[in-house]
Amino acid sequence: MKGYLISRPMLRIVKAVCLIIMLSGFVAIAYAQEGREIMKKSERAFLYAGKDFKVRVTMKLISSSGKTRLRELTMLRKNSGASGGEQKYFIYFHRPADVKGMTFMVYKYPDRDDDRWLFIPALNMVRRVAAQDRASSFVGSDFTYEDISGRDIDEDRHELLREDNLNGEECFVVKSTPVNADMPYSYRLSWISKKNYLPLKIEYYDLSGILYKVFTADEIKDIDGFPTVVKRTMKNLQSGHRTEVTFRDVQYNVNLKERIFSERYLRRPPREYIK
Amino acid sequence: MFINLSLKYPRTVILLTIIITIFLSLQFPKIKIDTDPENMLAKDEPIRVFHNQVKKEFGINEMIVLGILREDGIFHRDTLKKIKEITDSIKHIKGVIADDILSLSVTNNVIASGGTLRVRPPLYKVPDTNVEVESLKKEILDNPLFKDRLVSSDGKGAAIYIPIESKDIAHEVAQEIRKILEPLKGKEKFYMAGLPLAEDTFGAEMFKQMAIVAPLAGGFLMLILLIIFRRIMLVLPAMIVAMLSVMWTMGAMIGLGFTVHIMSSMIPVFLMPIAVCDSVHVLSDFYEHYKGKDRVGVIRNVFRSLFRPMFYTSLTTAVGFANLAWAKIPPVRVFGLFVAFGVLAAWLLSVTFLPAFLSILKEKRLKGLEQVKSRSRVLSVLSDISISKSRVVVIVGALLFVVAIYGVTTLRVNDNPVKWFKKSHPIRVADTVLNRIIGGTYISYLIFEGSAPEDIKRPEVVKYMDDLQRYLHSHHLVGKTTSIADVVKRINYVLHNQDASYERVPESKQLIGQYLFLFLMSSKPDELDNLVDYDYKKANLWVQLRSGDNRDMTEVVRSVENYVKENPLPKGISIKWSGLPYLNIVWQKLMVSGMLKATIGSYWVVFILLIVLFRSFWWAVIAILPLSFSIIFSYGLIGFAGKDYDMPIAVCSTLTLGLGIDFAIHFCQRFRAHYKETGNLNETMQWVTKGEPTVAIARNAIVVGLGFLPLVLATLTPYVTVGLFFGSLALFAGITTIFFLPALIETFKGKLIKGGY
Repeated sequence: MKGYLISRPMLRIVKAVCLIIMLSGFVAIAYAQEGREIMKKSERAFLYAGKDFKVRVTMKLISSSGKTRLRELTMLRKNSGASGGEQKYFIYFHRPADVKGMTFMVYKYPDRDDDRWLFIPALNMVRRVAAQDRASSFVGSDFTYEDISGRDIDEDRHELLREDNLNGEECFVVKSTPVNADMPYSYRLSWISKKNYLPLKIEYYDLSGILYKVFTADEIKDIDGFPTVVKRTMKNLQSGHRTEVTFRDVQYNVNLKERIFSERYLRRPPREYIK
Repeated sequence: MFINLSLKYPRTVILLTIIITIFLSLQFPKIKIDTDPENMLAKDEPIRVFHNQVKKEFGINEMIVLGILREDGIFHRDTLKKIKEITDSIKHIKGVIADDILSLSVTNNVIASGGTLRVRPPLYKVPDTNVEVESLKKEILDNPLFKDRLVSSDGKGAAIYIPIESKDIAHEVAQEIRKILEPLKGKEKFYMAGLPLAEDTFGAEMFKQMAIVAPLAGGFLMLILLIIFRRIMLVLPAMIVAMLSVMWTMGAMIGLGFTVHIMSSMIPVFLMPIAVCDSVHVLSDFYEHYKGKDRVGVIRNVFRSLFRPMFYTSLTTAVGFANLAWAKIPPVRVFGLFVAFGVLAAWLLSVTFLPAFLSILKEKRLKGLEQVKSRSRVLSVLSDISISKSRVVVIVGALLFVVAIYGVTTLRVNDNPVKWFKKSHPIRVADTVLNRIIGGTYISYLIFEGSAPEDIKRPEVVKYMDDLQRYLHSHHLVGKTTSIADVVKRINYVLHNQDASYERVPESKQLIGQYLFLFLMSSKPDELDNLVDYDYKKANLWVQLRSGDNRDMTEVVRSVENYVKENPLPKGISIKWSGLPYLNIVWQKLMVSGMLKATIGSYWVVFILLIVLFRSFWWAVIAILPLSFSIIFSYGLIGFAGKDYDMPIAVCSTLTLGLGIDFAIHFCQRFRAHYKETGNLNETMQWVTKGEPTVAIARNAIVVGLGFLPLVLATLTPYVTVGLFFGSLALFAGITTIFFLPALIETFKGKLIKGGY
């Protein structure tokens, strides 16, 4: 026995421990890969469904004391390539009454800041609007631009935390932590449906780790073969403010023409899609 | 009865006293403290209800203003970085409403650069280069939304407005902010101001002050008594009587579940000198009469002549205070009832515990007392003048009275919670500095209310606000105003390529609507909440004042009234004021008139009681005169001194009754008793004015007058005021009783003696 630094059975234990550590390392990587995978699938289902898409949106902005403001808009969206690629948005406001006819256009790029344009009908003026902050509010609601159009998948580290059952639906729970610390939240937890990969709930934790914002998918419908969240709520727990969004007249693959997404159409919205 | 029992079973009486004291002291741990001066008003007082409603509707909250000053200007990268860091840290303080903080790094601005519209805070990121710093400076300083509000026009100071959930956490939040600022100190100086902070800090410091001042006053009282009586064993019972009545009163109050409010926190300081009065009379007479023999007999004799006046004075004082229970101001009610309780407790102790204590004192403690005879030369000279030149004295008194009344008419009702702190207090200093550099830390809200949703977007309404703002700015007290009109004008200007001719309100409702929408499109949902309500039915015009004096706020309110008279409001629009400075002027009106009514009511009740006790109208008139004199003199003095009639003084007025009346009652009652005994008017006059009664009164006047003196050392001005006021009141009451009463009685003896005595 002499001559060996460590006894044979001991060596076996050491080997086993090493193996476990290595394996768990792989598992961790696997989980991370799996987390990214899930989020990628979710992105496709949630934000890139169809080639294009048209919807009438009602937004109810509700203050903590229960007062409401209504926004009604038609949104057109066209994907340029695969999921995660470029997208173009055209938004037409129906309500409130005094902003009827206002239009808003966003070119979304995965790797740089959006381009945004706004048409002010009372001045008959189109203006570019700066987009330095994608975490800023989308048309004054509790949703941010990112909540509407998503963020690049590799801007976060995704980690599959566990599986969960949310209101009878099997879900993955994925923790996404921004790589750059320039976001107003430190991480978010997404409950992704195993069935259709739509997010059923997203919790946002602020920089001190306190839950401050919650997204919930309140109603999901199957439209043209695409499971669609037709009712959703974003609630700010700090201010008590919340926004409820309802989708009507959802249509996929309507063959939106490229030229609609231009300054000319901002001034004269396309009649065939917007009534 | 009391006296005989106490002399018969002194130990039982003392034991009973101790038991009651222990029982009531056990209530102390239940203490509940309320430091909000606003609670002087009942919770359902209309102005409070409206104030709270406005706060809720507009998401307005009480604000602490944090000022950051740097001599060579705040536009340096390190200072800007600190402003951003401070803002970020403050967001996480508990009780701070993070979303509504106003600061360079979170409050949105609208700018256009290279044809692109940007809505974002000027300090959304710390500039990297000096060129960027310069352009930031330019962006801010020519911008009405920021200048004089978030940055001083000379660029030396910046402000952060910190909304808090409720006023009563202001002091706590300020402590947390101080912790954040501590490591950041450098070339910058930090100041914190704002009414909520002043009011809450006052509450916090008040109790500290009471803990220091009340024992100090007690100690001082004891010292004066010692100087007068030179026997610790004679001073001790008086002090015990005072202390016990304070403990009983506070114990009973706390035990019955009443919160200790600013007013009731003053009970100890008030009650002590009043409570000691009866004992001083007893001890004074005992001191004169004790010959080293038959102590019980002497005590009995002393009480025989003093029992009635003591009972009368205590009863009138108690009834006077109890009458405050009719006041509309809840804390005044509590205060009145419990001071009345305390006065009666002091009386009870003076006729039970005091004789019991005196009777069981060891003989050697009183050694040497038998030789003492006090006859004051000053007092007898005063009495001689008063009696021999009675008409002249009465006429001079009447003239002085007229002059004092003139002084009263010059009284100026004004208050400012910030001025409750001495000039050197950090809150006062911050207030002065910040109001010099930014547009004012006193934030009032002028609410425009339409009759239907969307009314506020009407161009004539926005235009009216804009014009009114311009008018307000010409007022020297108004440092800054902000409204939805500023936002609309700013966007109009920016969208028209910074053309100054577009820095105005546009003519179309649609355009206004679209501008506001544009602003909101890029902002937090509640960004405009503190300027306009959700359905655009109400708008909120911020009026920042550089002074928190109620008088100044009143002036601004009046000038807006005039403006509205000359420039009628747009159809369907009405305006209303809100905000703490406005609340304070309404509060002041209610307080001052409420206190005055309560005092006048008590005054009459005391007068009627005197008629009943003396069974003589004219004696009642004579007895109440010194009180009237001293009240008018004290207020006249305040008027001549140019001091404002503020909350503390108003509170004092309710208390004058307790002090002024006692001396005169003693004087009159003993005069009448002695005259009844001897039937000799001149002899009676000589005995009363030169003998024990006046000596005791003079002692009391000195004890009470000087007893309030330690209050002058307090760092909060209301206590200083109360101390000076009561000191002078007691001295005035003493002097009028000693000097004017004899002359009055001499002059009007015909009327007074007619009815027998």
